[in-house]
Amino acid sequence: MDAIRIPAPAELDALEDEHFRQVVRAFLHENYPDDLRNPPKRLHWDENRPWYMKLAERGWLCPGWPKEHGGLGLSPAKQIILTEEYERYGVARTNDHGIVMLGPLVIKYGTEEQKGRFLPKILTGEHIWCQGYSEPNAGSDLAALRTEAVLDGDEYVVNGQKIWTTLATDANWIFLLVRTDKQAKKQEGISFLLVDMKTPGITVRPIINLEMHDEFCEVFFDNVRVPKENLVGQLNKGWDMAKALLGFERIFLGSPRQSGYALSRLKILAERMGVWEDAEFQDRYARLRLEFEDLKALYGTFVEKLKRGESLGADVSMLKILQTELFQAITDTMLEIAGENAGLLEPMEGNRDLNIGGLFIQARPATIYGGSNEIQRNILAKNVLGLPG
Amino acid sequence: MSAALSGEDRAESIRMIRDSAAAVAPPGGDMKRVRDLRFQTPGFDPAVLRQMGEMGWIGLRLPEAAGGAGLGLGEACALAEELGAALVPEPLIPAMLTGSLLAAVGAGPLDRVLSGEALVLTAWQERPDTLDVPGSPDAPRRFLPMAAGAASFLLPVREGGRIALYEQQAGAGLTTEQTQDGGHLGTLEPSLATATRIADDIGEALSLALDEAALLTSAYLLGGMDRAFAMTLDYLKTRQQFGRIIGTFQALQHKAADVRMQIALTRASIEAAAATLDDGATGDARRAVISRAKARAAASSMLVTRECIQLHGGIGYTDQYDVGLYLRKAMVMANLYGSAALHRRRFMAVSPEVEE
Repeated sequence: MDAIRIPAPAELDALEDEHFRQVVRAFLHENYPDDLRNPPKRLHWDENRPWYMKLAERGWLCPGWPKEHGGLGLSPAKQIILTEEYERYGVARTNDHGIVMLGPLVIKYGTEEQKGRFLPKILTGEHIWCQGYSEPNAGSDLAALRTEAVLDGDEYVVNGQKIWTTLATDANWIFLLVRTDKQAKKQEGISFLLVDMKTPGITVRPIINLEMHDEFCEVFFDNVRVPKENLVGQLNKGWDMAKALLGFERIFLGSPRQSGYALSRLKILAERMGVWEDAEFQDRYARLRLEFEDLKALYGTFVEKLKRGESLGADVSMLKILQTELFQAITDTMLEIAGENAGLLEPMEGNRDLNIGGLFIQARPATIYGGSNEIQRNILAKNVLGLPG
Repeated sequence: MSAALSGEDRAESIRMIRDSAAAVAPPGGDMKRVRDLRFQTPGFDPAVLRQMGEMGWIGLRLPEAAGGAGLGLGEACALAEELGAALVPEPLIPAMLTGSLLAAVGAGPLDRVLSGEALVLTAWQERPDTLDVPGSPDAPRRFLPMAAGAASFLLPVREGGRIALYEQQAGAGLTTEQTQDGGHLGTLEPSLATATRIADDIGEALSLALDEAALLTSAYLLGGMDRAFAMTLDYLKTRQQFGRIIGTFQALQHKAADVRMQIALTRASIEAAAATLDDGATGDARRAVISRAKARAAASSMLVTRECIQLHGGIGYTDQYDVGLYLRKAMVMANLYGSAALHRRRFMAVSPEVEE
């Protein structure tokens, strides 16, 4: 590979797009640990820490943050290129809630004191954040959340329970949506609060999911006292703030990459099972291929919009629905052609390309998280098609 | 040349062609005209075909030196889409196919075809659901759209290793069958003894012209499904049952969302194909994107128009209500220039690998 000079972080945004892409490739080649490529499961902090710290050390940790806060200040177009290259290289997700969610929120709504207190510690890896939004009775209907924070002197007292908190066992800080006004309309009584996980009264309990993995947790709050200066933005405006932050990153939920990966594994499996040449299988595979290719084309039209500097509309929900349902259809097909191998816990013949049951299970939550596909269809119906009620 | 247009100029050029389509396809369509022509002979208005010729549509894709407008497939698809939205019955796509063929060989009645003065149909097809052109000298040529209005037919005929082209005047040897949309398909008995030989070797030109016709048919279907769905959405927003607007029911909302996604995929597929060809793709790369688009449009046009009938309920099942016209048009056009199944097979043959 030709040696490509990797410019200083502050210079990256000024590069021409194709040059930038080459720089990202070279950066990954040089810095990304080989044994972490395409991990079959979401990695824990102890596993992805070396990569996180490498990013921190090179100044590449926060691509979307403005430069004055230690980010790369990349345009949406460049962030998409970066993500495409990470996906292509099989880069694992880090414990990125501080980078992707909290940082941008503090930058937008936080006080100077909060910015100074929290942003540098994300950049050094000292603070690892998790997101406390969902609750047992507030999933798709998130605004129904009931974990409450009551002001008592200079502190909020938090009581309640969060669930599906990704990698909470790894985190030392959590950002919460909490109810601060029980009388107001449900969206208008919610505030945004930052909590140190070491505060007395917090209990974290891992949940083992269908992948037999402890990615999610329950987090319990029992009279947890939080300094009132940890409230971000205005009281009772937390819902609007969290919503305003759902920016162009939503496009990544519809990235066709997972389906592309699964499709090529389906072919390997079909060849191994001796059905690849069957006309019936060929037609099924062709249908999936064409779904994938057309989804890529549709995804491309949204990427082009972002590159022109336009913001995304509610119709981006289409990508999420199409990608996740295609991913599932591909893994359904894998199970159908695999015979008894469909039920194996580990990859067939010890070959990671034949991870039949594993991929099938991984495809399940995709239609649930990030706004279930039923919610996404509601969004399309109301906000894109203008249907009433 | 069109392919060199920048993104912005191309968008402007496409906008202009959409506007100009209103001459024949007014916003909302002219359903009275469409209905008046149904199940009549020849099933279209020759004056409108001439108007299309005058507007340069039949030669839209041809270089200016050949009497064309020198525009790309992006523009041609936009035009076909507008015509599909209005269910325009004049056989523009078959006329364009003939125009491309004659321009490629530089012979035959090109001027009369491009001016819309005469409908000349290329009689290439010998069996259902194919893109192959065997060129058998005596085999009946089938599935000729609006054949009763044709002045003459072009017959590809295999001679040695090549496909020659003959022109046979209309008259004897034509039978027709009515189609669901109120048009008809003709079958022609070749009569080479009375035909004029006009070219030696049209194999490559014909295969390109058939591909473009497949893509334009996809765009026509896209226009139709889009309009049928717009009508359906209006209906969902006004019809009341159980004391509520039916569009408030989640079962119908989710069906409508699914239909919208099919239309979005179809549009993305067609626009990607047009852009790929306008960028100069040839061979298997061309065939792959066209088969993708046609497979998608054929399947989604049927799915969308079926669902539009269902979402309308009983009124959608009446001939008087326009949404049914779109279903009937899709039934006729979905399988022209290759069914979804044919194009899936062809796609897999020319594009076997996934690019991750």
